[in-house]
Amino acid sequence: MSKVRYAMVIDLRRCIGCHSCSVACKSENSVPLGVYRTWVKQVEKGRYPQVSKHFLPTLCNNCENPICLQNCPTKATYRRDDGIIMVDEHRCIGCKYCIYSCPYDVRYVNPLKRYVQKCYWCFHRVDAGLEPACVDTCPARARIFGDINDPNSEVARLIATNPVQVLKPEKATIPQVYYIGADFQTMKARGLGHEGEGWKR
Amino acid sequence: MEEINVVYNVHHEIPLGVLLANYFYMTGLSAGSFILSTLAYGFGIKKYKPIGKVGVVLATLLLVLAPLNLLIDMTLPWRFWHLFVYLNPTSPITWGSFLLIIYPLNCIIYGYFMFKGDEKKTKVFGLIGIPLALSVHGYTGFILALAKRGLINTALMPTLFLVSAMVSGIALMILVVIVKDRFFSAKREVDRELIFDLGKILAWSIVTDLVLIFSDVSVLLTSEAAAYEAAQLILRGSFAPYFLGVEIFLGSLVPLFLLFFPKTRRTLTGVAIASALVMIGIFVMRYVMVIGGQSIPQS
Repeated sequence: MSKVRYAMVIDLRRCIGCHSCSVACKSENSVPLGVYRTWVKQVEKGRYPQVSKHFLPTLCNNCENPICLQNCPTKATYRRDDGIIMVDEHRCIGCKYCIYSCPYDVRYVNPLKRYVQKCYWCFHRVDAGLEPACVDTCPARARIFGDINDPNSEVARLIATNPVQVLKPEKATIPQVYYIGADFQTMKARGLGHEGEGWKR
Repeated sequence: MEEINVVYNVHHEIPLGVLLANYFYMTGLSAGSFILSTLAYGFGIKKYKPIGKVGVVLATLLLVLAPLNLLIDMTLPWRFWHLFVYLNPTSPITWGSFLLIIYPLNCIIYGYFMFKGDEKKTKVFGLIGIPLALSVHGYTGFILALAKRGLINTALMPTLFLVSAMVSGIALMILVVIVKDRFFSAKREVDRELIFDLGKILAWSIVTDLVLIFSDVSVLLTSEAAAYEAAQLILRGSFAPYFLGVEIFLGSLVPLFLLFFPKTRRTLTGVAIASALVMIGIFVMRYVMVIGGQSIPQS
């Protein structure tokens, strides 16, 4: 239990849907136009006057049992000792099998450099003792980052004392981004448009 | 039904394109042709001797061309050598990068001895080639099956791919043999009995393929949410015309009718049309599996 294992908690009761995290991430990691390492899905439920609006910040879950790690043919995808899943940009051949395998759609091919990238929880900031850019910038403090193996850390405390949920637990990837106050219909809705199934049209 | 509306989301492009479907199609044709060619030269069934040489030429050509699809689809193709230096034994692509070298080499050696007339050595390399041909296509089934997407993440996928490879390989063989005998042989005459015999094998392979597709889809319908959704996509959604219309009806049921109906099963036209339809059907099967499997967004 003494080993560091980073995890993130996203408290959806606090999220105000301002997209600051997406902007901070783009700026911190020089994410090109058209691709995202984190984004905030917005879902409207119900019909007036019985309506509610939900936000779901989405990013790489840096899973404990990641399918991308298993399927990468060149071991360009590797795991750090603290659990962060990395992509070695010098080794990636761009076969896109990791993107194809991932059940969360969080990887992309960098349109300029042509290798695969994804969120790695700003490991360069974490190694320097800072928090990831999205966590640092969130004005509502909806994102909390820390060591899940340290019982005194805020993430460990929040996970222990709240009902938490992860995305697609049935995929057996053991995601390490925990949501507090997540709505299952918001998590399930995909694509864009009515019923969240714009892809059907 | 409660109203749920996604107001904002990020659009994700589908990572693998039609080139991958083409790659799966070509390796399937190659594996099927190779196994047909070993019927005479590996197992010594005399009546299939005329297709032995056709089979090995097709198998080699297709397998030399097939990996080009992969290279073009890679975003950094000049780094392909990483596949042989940095290995990941859990990745089916690593298995494949070696199979795609060994199998065509074996095909070339096998063909060389066949054309030289050295029956003993031909037999040895033919029998070595069978597990290689099965794995070179079986591994492509694993590429799909090991991705966490609804339509393809099933244990049946490698087997389904092998059987459909046999189906398309036999169909290609029938068409090539007809064209070769009709236009390029000394007698300009098609060996009708051989074609009808291949037609019979084709018919029973299609039946096996349909049984596997039925088991696959019926389990998809009762499995977890993503699988159920994928089954809806191919049965009622935007991929239903491809799956039900082309793959099942035009590519399996119509050929089956042509191959079993007494008036058409012993005509060259009937068998040729059936084979052409089967080849289209199997290509569409690869298309549905690769593109259809990705058309449902994951987030």
